[in-house]
Amino acid sequence: MAALILPAGLLVVLLMVAPMLFLARISLNHFSPTELMVEAMSAENYLRAVQDPYYRAVLLTTLAVALGCTLLCLVLGFPTAYWLARMQSRWKSLATILILFPLLVGNVVRSAGWIALLGNDGAINAALQGLHLISAPLPLLYNAFAVVVGIVAVVLPYMILTLSAVIEGIPRQTEEAAANLGARPLTAFRRVVLPLALPGVAAGSVLVFILCMNAYATPVLLGGPQFKMMAPAVYDQFVRGNNWPFGAALAFILLAATMVLTVVGSALIGRRYRR
Amino acid sequence: MTITRRQALSGGAAALATLTAGLPGVARAAGGRVVVGTWGGDYGNLLRQNIDEPIVQPKGIEVLQDVANADPRKTKLLAERQTRRGTFDVACLSDTDMYLIQQQNALQPLEMGKLSRAEQIIPALQKPYAIPHIYSALVLLYNPDKVTTRPTAFADMWDPKYKGRVGFSDILYNTNTLAAALAGGGSVHDYKPAEKMLMDLRKLDAKVYPSNEALAAALKSEEVWLTPMWLARGFMWKQGGIPVRHVVPKEGAYSIVFEAAIPKNARNTENAYTYLDAMLDAKAQTGFARQMGYLPTVKDAKLDPDLAQEISLTEEEESRLVTPDYEYLQKNLNGILDFWNKQFKA
Repeated sequence: MAALILPAGLLVVLLMVAPMLFLARISLNHFSPTELMVEAMSAENYLRAVQDPYYRAVLLTTLAVALGCTLLCLVLGFPTAYWLARMQSRWKSLATILILFPLLVGNVVRSAGWIALLGNDGAINAALQGLHLISAPLPLLYNAFAVVVGIVAVVLPYMILTLSAVIEGIPRQTEEAAANLGARPLTAFRRVVLPLALPGVAAGSVLVFILCMNAYATPVLLGGPQFKMMAPAVYDQFVRGNNWPFGAALAFILLAATMVLTVVGSALIGRRYRR
Repeated sequence: MTITRRQALSGGAAALATLTAGLPGVARAAGGRVVVGTWGGDYGNLLRQNIDEPIVQPKGIEVLQDVANADPRKTKLLAERQTRRGTFDVACLSDTDMYLIQQQNALQPLEMGKLSRAEQIIPALQKPYAIPHIYSALVLLYNPDKVTTRPTAFADMWDPKYKGRVGFSDILYNTNTLAAALAGGGSVHDYKPAEKMLMDLRKLDAKVYPSNEALAAALKSEEVWLTPMWLARGFMWKQGGIPVRHVVPKEGAYSIVFEAAIPKNARNTENAYTYLDAMLDAKAQTGFARQMGYLPTVKDAKLDPDLAQEISLTEEEESRLVTPDYEYLQKNLNGILDFWNKQFKA
């Protein structure tokens, strides 16, 4: 049986673990502007990243955006997921496809759409100015708002589909029983559906959180030059600064932050679920 | 007419080459191949139209373009510098990048005797390790409807009249910083004065756009009136209906040269020389000027007067040309990027 995981396992080792180890080694090297990378064994890059208020702010922005988007997805996604899960009609597969629809368009193309919508001479500002509701364009693009809107639009389908798969597994009778025993719909939701759906909430949140933490195209295109998240900062170091060691260190800090929060988050929800 | 055995053979080979041109993996092009590492887009297309097809391919040499942005190609050159057989026979990069690669010992010194066109290269642009292909200068672009008194210097961007109307392209952080340094009394050897100048400009609400294209859109919608930019790009924008004019700033006209060189581990060195020679062809160079607004790097390439007026520098302006201090840039580029990201943009 163990042989079954061999092909996928080998692929992961070859294409992920090996490059990661290589990257880990690079992160300990020293950067020199003239020689680019000098072999070394030092934690200087990690120390610099942690001590520099700029990179601390970048990490905090990333965490705030990721947590905010995850919560927003949960709030927006749960009702839709519930509706989809309880849907009996033959349109159900069509509805699923419609929910997946945003994923059919690439990140960059989708962002181009948002730019056309949110820009200073974009559709929204043009309409508002045309109706004389505003005199100067509203700053809708190149800020945190644009990034959160853009990211939520990408990751929402993941949340909805994960939640709806779990909600489908909750027998309808449990809700009917609750109603029978006098619970109002909200109470039934809070006391019955939500606790039973917690594994879905955990899985969906983890998935969405990881995607948000590592978002690249959306923050670059919609956040603009002043708004920095971790993945673009890593790219900047590799490609613009030629500073591979520091870029690698930032990448590992991003990885560590994502992993720690994912594990802690799942553990908290898991404990709640067992109770 | 008698056909010798040799002629018949070479003719046959040429016919075979034509027949098999579309087939991968079949030996073709009697003269072998040359792999050119270049940008795609306009630059790659113009290489094909002006150099590959009319000059190099008729010599029986198959031209393969390895297309990517500069950074991945730089990385490839650096990563391969220890290997015996490299990817590229010809590497196209900007002068600053080329210097960096040269410092890492990845390029062959050029034997100018092998280039029939070497004599024609503008002396100021000559390098022992690369040929200049096209060049342009950093100018100040302005919107003539909004900026009614014609600016003369980068320093005019600090005029409080233009508060909120100065825009920068984020990817040009290095030249933007230089423009600020020049305006503040610095030079290509000293970018330090840029720090105070940029912070002052920040107070004047200068805008930063993520790409040249986003900046172009802002110039078009007249959100931005002033920006430091390559003259060649300003020319293309003007062609595209963006309301801009340029002025060669009195602090100096910083030059950018797009160069081509042969890596140490090139597999087809002879063909690479043929290719470099073709890049210096006068007609090919005027083709680039017409389409992209870059200036020829050879003395005998003559531009049409109307085009020359748009993209050339006058003799007086040419005297203000300053070349980068590559060594200074290489040492300080990281610090410049850091300042740009952490202080100016923050």
